[in-house]
Amino acid sequence: MGRKSRRRGILRIDPVGIFGVFLLIMIWQALTLALPPSSLPTPSSVVARIGRDFIRAEELSFYGLADTGLLNSMIYTATNVMIAVALGSLVGTIAGFVTARFHNVRAILDPIVMTMGTIPILVLAPFFLIWFGVERMSAVLLVVLYVAVILYIFAQRAADNLDPVYEEYAYTLGASSKRIVWDILIPGTVPQVLGGIRIALAGAWGLEAIAELLGAQYGIGKIIQVLAGATDVQGIFAALIVLGLVAVISDGLAALVFAHVAAWSAAARPGGN
Amino acid sequence: MTEVRAFFRRHGVSIIVLGVMAAIWQILSLLYTTEAVPGEPMIPGWQVVFTRTLISLSDYWQGGLGVPSVAEGAPPSYTAALLAIVSNSLDTMVRLYLGLLIGGLVGTFLGLAVSWSKWSRRTVELPLQFIRTLPLLAMVPLFQLWFGIYFAGKVAFVAYGVGVIFFAGVVNAVKNVPQVYIDNARTQGANRVQLYLTIILPSIFPELRATILLSLGTAWGAVLGAEYLGAQSGLGYIIVYSEAFAYLDRMFVVALLFVFYASISYAIFNRLSLKLLQWMPRVGRVIVVG
Amino acid sequence: MRLENGIAIKASQLSQSFRRADGQLVDALSSVNFEVLKGQFVCLIGPSGCGKTTLLQIIAGLLLPSSGILEVGNQVVTRPSPERGMVFQKDSVFPWMRVINNVEYGLACRGVGSGERRAIAEHYLERVGLAHVARAWPRELSGGMLKRVAVATVFANGASVLLLDEPFGALDYVTKRHLHNVLLTLWAETGRNKPRTVLFVTHDVDEALILADRILVFHTGRIVDDLALVAPRPRTTDTLLMPQMVQNKHLLLAHLGLETKQAGTGATSSIVRAAND
Ligand SMILES: Nc1ncnc2c1ncn2[C@@H]1O[C@H](COP(=O)(O)OP(=O)(O)O)[C@@H](O)[C@H]1O
Ligand SMILES: [Mg+2]
Repeated sequence: MGRKSRRRGILRIDPVGIFGVFLLIMIWQALTLALPPSSLPTPSSVVARIGRDFIRAEELSFYGLADTGLLNSMIYTATNVMIAVALGSLVGTIAGFVTARFHNVRAILDPIVMTMGTIPILVLAPFFLIWFGVERMSAVLLVVLYVAVILYIFAQRAADNLDPVYEEYAYTLGASSKRIVWDILIPGTVPQVLGGIRIALAGAWGLEAIAELLGAQYGIGKIIQVLAGATDVQGIFAALIVLGLVAVISDGLAALVFAHVAAWSAAARPGGN
Repeated sequence: MTEVRAFFRRHGVSIIVLGVMAAIWQILSLLYTTEAVPGEPMIPGWQVVFTRTLISLSDYWQGGLGVPSVAEGAPPSYTAALLAIVSNSLDTMVRLYLGLLIGGLVGTFLGLAVSWSKWSRRTVELPLQFIRTLPLLAMVPLFQLWFGIYFAGKVAFVAYGVGVIFFAGVVNAVKNVPQVYIDNARTQGANRVQLYLTIILPSIFPELRATILLSLGTAWGAVLGAEYLGAQSGLGYIIVYSEAFAYLDRMFVVALLFVFYASISYAIFNRLSLKLLQWMPRVGRVIVVG
Repeated sequence: MRLENGIAIKASQLSQSFRRADGQLVDALSSVNFEVLKGQFVCLIGPSGCGKTTLLQIIAGLLLPSSGILEVGNQVVTRPSPERGMVFQKDSVFPWMRVINNVEYGLACRGVGSGERRAIAEHYLERVGLAHVARAWPRELSGGMLKRVAVATVFANGASVLLLDEPFGALDYVTKRHLHNVLLTLWAETGRNKPRTVLFVTHDVDEALILADRILVFHTGRIVDDLALVAPRPRTTDTLLMPQMVQNKHLLLAHLGLETKQAGTGATSSIVRAAND
């Protein structure tokens, strides 16, 4: 019951909350009265800036970023995030499942992943920039690693928590190992794994952006770095809000799609709870 | 002695795996001898790390305490290197824990305040969700422009990142307090303040523990990000400064220090919080990625 | 028999409706009227979902009625008060406090000195037979022990009206019978200087017959019957076999839909609905 109402809650927006968003914008507006525009631009000027810089930003070409706008930078960043989340989820989930069922592998992988989990992933960024260069590769690998660690933990925990009775039952019915993976293990853990992907996705945007900030030729992070050098707060706001909106929208889309997938898995398969 | 033995029984495999990882690193350094710049191996072996690299860290000692800095013309020494490590670690930790403290207190206080009534909670929930989704690390330049690239900027940034997590965590945890505990306390004569102190705070603590662990990860990431993008001292500063010269070995030593400090801070918090939570039936382990 | 002077609880035209999440309006209570005398032990019986918990929540002051008035001791109830103690249907013992701190919680809230409240709490823990687990965490106790902690708490608080919502519903038979004795002893002994009025919700007919001075029968938010039980205390297995008790039992079973209404005596006329479905 709780699950169902929560799922419905994803799609329903509280009207009081919309008032809250309005209030937030009003507070922002009120703060601009007290602060100079060089510290805090007004909401309307930021919106105008987003419109102006969307396809091609004049300012950026002064700083050596020719023919760049918010749109194509965002596409670059989003592509990297999508590739990284897909790759990292795949690797992390498979590793999580394998370690949940094979204890020897777990004894080896667990300490490695726990160490990875404890280090701030960001420590690795400068290494990656030297090892793999300031191209797409460094940022993507960094995000892949981060996503893989999260999914490893989520998938492993989900497989651990799956009631063994389902797998035992399937064995008594003569199912092969392969069938058990596809018919029991995967559908039974889909909701938790998808929850992990959502969390990983939410964190991936910031990590990708700072990887670009530290060293990249393109991307929204690169734009922010260039604008920060020029102390252009309005431009930074515009870039951050575009990035934030894309992050919010991607999270909403993921929630919607995942809710449908999870509903199917829970209803159609015995293991899905 | 028995304690040591128990420790090894519990963590034996982990220690062996870590040892094997260190050995693999050494083997890689022997097999893959490419240099980033002449004299700087891409994969520095342990024999380099513990001799030449360690002593070279004296570059980051600013002088004082009777130990002159390299910039003043003194030769590099282990003493200066050690002082460099200690002073830069302290700089980073002060930024980290001060930010954590301020952010945690402000976030918790605001979260509790907003939870006072159903309407205030519903008002902040949606905007809060948006603010949470704003990628924190991409906001470093903004905080630098607002609060400067010195101490205040970094502390404010860490505090903001931690504060948002605490705020959201507390609002959500208060919402999940079982109604029967609140009803029970009210029928026994608890007033609003007593309700907050004796019922709501203890019953949100288990959920808050996950929040605190999460914020520890965020805080380490935030302080690093802030130091990468503008600092005159600190572990993150050493890493980016070394990166500019492709001093991979120095970066490696500092990264190891980071891992060491972060692990210790998690372990200490885990110990403390489990002690506070001995009333809980079973406390699941929370793992964070930052 | 106990001395009954004055009215403890008075409900006038009490109604409560809820709007469920799907928009449907539910009448949990419809125009309920009753009076309970001071010191009376009243059982509320009725099928689940008939509004018993709702009524108790209104009396406790946790819920304001949609319409109607509820008075306790000549005062209209608008908020909770330590004068009206409640044992909840769900487990309500605070897991983050040791057993003894749970029992003295209400006294601590009202600023009773630590020595005094500790003595009171220890006394009632002793009475429910839990003195040995005073320093334990609630997680270390069984379900029946937790209920005993809740009973000790409500008595330690010194409330004059006790609201018990199916307190022993989930317990095994032996524990339940034992707790009946504990409850009745505590109720009777403190009754001399300060009568305690008890409203005890149950769906167990035998439990009601053992405990009650009076039984109010609920059905879909209304009181459909009001029985006085004059059998002497302490009641034993034999008491339950007295003719008027057997008759009352048939009546109650009929109200709960387990026997036909016109059932006279003897179990032969009883119909178990489930058998027909
Ligand atoms: N908070 C609520 N919101 C909506 N409906 C409720 C609420 N509380 C109780 N109800 C409804 O009121 C009716 C009576 O509930 P309750 O008093 O809990 O019954 P019971 O006699 O089993 O204790 C039920 O139909 C229940 O669904
Ligand atoms: Mg009920």
